[in-house]
Amino acid sequence: MPTPVAAGVNSWFLNKFELERLEMDTLQTLLLGFIGIVLVNNLVLTKFLGICPFLGVSGRLDMAFGMGLAVTFVVTLAGTLTWIIDHVFLIGTSLEVMRYLCFILVIAGAVQLVEMYLRKFFPALYESFGIFLPLITTNCAILGLCLFVNLWGIDNLLEAVVLSVGAGIGFTLAICIMAGIRENLELADVPECLQGAPITLITAGVLTLAFMGFAGMIR
Amino acid sequence: MSNNETKNPILFFMQESWLLLVSAILFGCLLACLSAAWQPKIIQNEIDKFNALAGGLLSEAKGFQNAGESISVDIGKGKTYSVRVKKGTDAAGNLVGWAFVCEGSGFADKIKLVVATDAAFEKLAGFGVLSSNETPGFGDKITIKDGFYQSQFKGAPVTELELTKVGDAETIDSRIVAISGATVTSEAVVKTFNTFLLPIKEAMAEQGLL
Amino acid sequence: MVLGSGFYVLSFHENDKLNISKGLNKMSKDVSLGKTFFAGIWDSNPVLRLLLGMCPTLAVTAAVKPALTMGLSVVFVLLFSNIVVSLLRHQLKPHLRILMFTLTIATAVTIADLYLKAFMPEMSASLGPYIPLIIVNCIIIGRAEACASKNGLIVSIIDALGMGAGFTITLCVLAAIREVLATGNIFEITVMPGSFTPWAAMGMPVGAFITLGLILGAVNIISKKTA
Repeated sequence: MPTPVAAGVNSWFLNKFELERLEMDTLQTLLLGFIGIVLVNNLVLTKFLGICPFLGVSGRLDMAFGMGLAVTFVVTLAGTLTWIIDHVFLIGTSLEVMRYLCFILVIAGAVQLVEMYLRKFFPALYESFGIFLPLITTNCAILGLCLFVNLWGIDNLLEAVVLSVGAGIGFTLAICIMAGIRENLELADVPECLQGAPITLITAGVLTLAFMGFAGMIR
Repeated sequence: MSNNETKNPILFFMQESWLLLVSAILFGCLLACLSAAWQPKIIQNEIDKFNALAGGLLSEAKGFQNAGESISVDIGKGKTYSVRVKKGTDAAGNLVGWAFVCEGSGFADKIKLVVATDAAFEKLAGFGVLSSNETPGFGDKITIKDGFYQSQFKGAPVTELELTKVGDAETIDSRIVAISGATVTSEAVVKTFNTFLLPIKEAMAEQGLL
Repeated sequence: MVLGSGFYVLSFHENDKLNISKGLNKMSKDVSLGKTFFAGIWDSNPVLRLLLGMCPTLAVTAAVKPALTMGLSVVFVLLFSNIVVSLLRHQLKPHLRILMFTLTIATAVTIADLYLKAFMPEMSASLGPYIPLIIVNCIIIGRAEACASKNGLIVSIIDALGMGAGFTITLCVLAAIREVLATGNIFEITVMPGSFTPWAAMGMPVGAFITLGLILGAVNIISKKTA
């Protein structure tokens, strides 16, 4: 059933003239959206999403980078899929009440598929970040991004994809910065009661203060 | 997995997943019932919130009704925002003013405003904040009802508004004095007004409402 | 397996890992209901000991009211999922159980979200996407896996209440500290003297991280002294 929105989706691919006319505007929107979600609205440091892996896996830089890549991969897939499902099926048939149910099932399914695919065709890649995949289902950053795309009323597919990639890169950035700091923190003299999780949280707090400098940059 | 080749695959599938399918259907029905029961209340809440905010701005208004067609306003970067203007009427049904919802990008997130004007769409009756996520202690001063910032809009003319850093906040004109420490938020509100006011006035005149 | 690796990666030191596994074993072996309940509040407090459910802990604790609403929503979802999973525990197929948990939790969260939207619209607007994010809160899927899928109805209910209470109390304590320091008020009642300058930073993300870090440090000291 061609809903009005589905027709809108098609126009991004079919109507060349419209595309050319909007090209500059679109490029600007996409670029701003991308920088916005990587730095200004960084999911980890301003929206508190994906804190569990952010605290848990940021002990070593290579692990953190692996986790970041896995999240980027899955969030791109999940963000795109949920946007399509939301606009093609749910909004068209006013089944918005099923939104959360669909989103989480899509994410769980996507994670399973990616895991099986990697294990079969790219065993080396699976070895390097496959262990993080099952964890990602319960990573708030993924579901959070899908919900924010919906909340911000993103109405074209391209923007949704760019935001999803940006969210993944923002997560990778945050977790890698954190891992770098924690590697150095191991040499520091931290009071015994603050070792481990507490000092990581306090470091993260200082990090958010630094990221607050980006706020208001994009309007 | 080896013994399922002898079984009917559909039967095997049903055996493994019947619980999942049955509970999915049951949960779906449960959600559908609850949604059907509560949806009118949710919609009513939104209307109530709008009426409370707009009614606070247009004190004579007793009710608000949709007026004309919805207006789509160009908000830049190739995007549009659809506005539904509502007509505020007093107890006798006379027109006392107009109110509509609009939004703009603030410091942290989108700011959603309810804007009200007088019956001729010449003077602003002020604005109220439907939703915002501005910095506590600074940007969120825009949400203070009848505060220093909001009161500057009461009676301001419907034209291009201008933000100034220093000035007299008591004089009501098109110059709006910014909240110190929250220039971005103050600017965002003024920009939202400039994006929406004149196009809506134009469109309303075209629809014959003014 | 999902949770196994989850707990493994989540743990910081050998100590923490030991704590987590101790907490979980304790839960499944304990038959005393009172102990089950109080374990959730202190011994295996989901936030302070197991470091689960960090997102809402940090995000909604700028004031006590949203923190309390969030805590009660989590109690409701935890109760719903524990009851359903406990009733169906003999029918669960091992490889489909995570999917079943997710389905149950998502349903409960949608109910909670609809309820808040209908009867507490202000609160629903201020909590925003953090209510649907309860779905991916590790506490709930963790309790379904570690307790409800192995124990009977009564134990599961008590466990849900204990864990929920532990979560709610932690959230409220954190929120109370932050709200008092950020605004000088609590529940809109002024508690600080007039000369007090509000610490605006406490209401921002930085306040959440640092307060929680210091609370965790304090809990470490207390548990070391009592041990």
